[in-house]
Amino acid sequence: MSEPLIRLEGVGRTFRSGEVEVNALREADLAIDRGDYLSIMGPSGSGKSTLLNITALLDRHTSGTYRFEGRDVGRLSEGERTGLRAHRIGFVFQAFHLLTHRTVLENVVLSMLYGSVPRSDRKARAAGALERVGLSDRAGFLPSRLSGGERQRVAIARAIVTRPPILLCDEPTGSLDSTTSRSILELFEELRSDGLTIVVVTHDQMVSSRAERTIAMHDGRVTQDTRA
Amino acid sequence: MKRRARRARGKRSAAMSRIPRSRFRVLDLVTESLAGLFARPGRSLLTALGAVLGIAALVATLGVANTAGNQIVSTFDELSATSVVLTTDQGFSGANTRIALPWDSEQRLTRLNGVVAAGSMADVGLGNALVRSVPIIDPLGQTEFQIPMIAASPGIYPASRGKLTTGRWYDHGHSERADRVAVLGSAAAQRLNITRVDQQPVVFVGDVSFVVVGILAQVERQPELLSAIIVPEGTAREIYKLKSPSTVQIRTEVGAASLIAAQGPIAVAPDDPSTVRVQAPPEAEDLRAEVQENVNALFLILGGVSLLVGGIGIANVTLVSVLERVSEIGLRRALGAGRRHIAYQFLLESTGVGLFGGMVGTSLGVLTVVAVSAARTWTPVLNPAIPVAAPLLGAAVGLLAGLYPALRASLFEPVDSLRASAN
Repeated sequence: MSEPLIRLEGVGRTFRSGEVEVNALREADLAIDRGDYLSIMGPSGSGKSTLLNITALLDRHTSGTYRFEGRDVGRLSEGERTGLRAHRIGFVFQAFHLLTHRTVLENVVLSMLYGSVPRSDRKARAAGALERVGLSDRAGFLPSRLSGGERQRVAIARAIVTRPPILLCDEPTGSLDSTTSRSILELFEELRSDGLTIVVVTHDQMVSSRAERTIAMHDGRVTQDTRA
Repeated sequence: MKRRARRARGKRSAAMSRIPRSRFRVLDLVTESLAGLFARPGRSLLTALGAVLGIAALVATLGVANTAGNQIVSTFDELSATSVVLTTDQGFSGANTRIALPWDSEQRLTRLNGVVAAGSMADVGLGNALVRSVPIIDPLGQTEFQIPMIAASPGIYPASRGKLTTGRWYDHGHSERADRVAVLGSAAAQRLNITRVDQQPVVFVGDVSFVVVGILAQVERQPELLSAIIVPEGTAREIYKLKSPSTVQIRTEVGAASLIAAQGPIAVAPDDPSTVRVQAPPEAEDLRAEVQENVNALFLILGGVSLLVGGIGIANVTLVSVLERVSEIGLRRALGAGRRHIAYQFLLESTGVGLFGGMVGTSLGVLTVVAVSAARTWTPVLNPAIPVAAPLLGAAVGLLAGLYPALRASLFEPVDSLRASAN
């Protein structure tokens, strides 16, 4: 049996503020295989975003073991963690986080600055990613001229342009209306069919229902793991 | 088969153990920094203003000081730095006798390139002889005075920059013939009550008479001439047995004083130049440096303070910029930027601001120097190194000012930055 792309064993995250300790994530066990389409559901404060941030190497777990592609993340140096973020992980934010003074194409190119894509290939790669998300005709636009759904598509193009094996999305439809949300979910399904592993944190039952597998969280614990 | 499987496993594990590091190429760093600066051009310009003012103040200070120093030196050159005086020292044998200056010192020195005029002179010992202007003794007033006599070659007149009230200066013919002629210094003429020479007044030194051919109004060098009776050297040699001149006054071209100070002793005493004492003005370069040093000291402090304030301004605005761009920092970190990549970008941005401010400030400073010089009809003088060094100084100030903000930016954790910007 092959090693899962991501494996968490008893992973916890404790925040300390003076004498007070808050356990945002407790004893989380989770394995994500290549090609999985997974949603993480739960109420606010249930620890789902903390789980996603740790998975994306944006935050550090304080207990347990996290393996990414078989590597023990806890043993990686800061430089190695940064390298994995640059090359192996795509992240989509609820707030898009596009640079407002850069064009759509430049925002997508930004993702390749810290990786190993040669300068000469970047624009073509970015144009390809924009084509993949259906925004070829918006390449020269500033983000301020785009709708919410289009901005999220740009963010997705930026996340996939480095061709990572996994796409981690934090409330990707949280700022969008239902019609636009559906189009984003359709895009996820297309990307999933290309072999990309997708993890989506959401409050939205409709978003969750599109995933093949749903993780439910409550009070920092994984309480349910169901497959459709 | 087993070997192939082992090799495949080895490749997999090697690939697993190798994590490609994130990188930030120099060209990308420069491009991103420039993009960061041009994203908010108004703010970048205002940030650069501190460096502009500081560098402009420094360049203008140095330039004006340079120009003013040069101007002072030029004036000094014209008035004073063209005088060289040769006198004789004690002989090398240790005897108390002075080494004699030659009678043809004037001719020898005027042959040197850079000498405008030269004249030799010597005090003539008159003993107890008094000087009077008329051959009668007036019992009601003083008519005889103790007035010094100076024997001088004709060249002393142009060499001392003399001006006559009336009459003329004697010439080489008078000296060669030992004519009994004299020029009176203005003070001596006043004491002897002689104001005009058109009727060829006569003065008596003891029993020796001299025809007064001119009255000296003023000199810019050798002021003792003004209170003396000045006679030709040839005359003094014949009547008073004068042995040799004791002093040679040289007037040089501007800038030639140091050269003549070196060549003069060789010209008048080729066998032992060291016995000739030289009084030369201080080197123009030394004087210029001294003047500039004095002017610079004050204004450099002012320029330095301006630059410090400018640097603090850059640091302050860069820090505000860092705090405003927390979201961007978080995004870049999430996309794979390392801490040092973030720090480099902010450092380069603040250095760029400093460099830009330095270039604009240098231009303004140079314009100020030119404007001040034009207003005072001075020749603008600026060390050519300053326009090159000043922008680099601006860049250095920007670099230093960006250190703390860059450090702050690099310490943001990605998750905190993204969370803070989302709230």
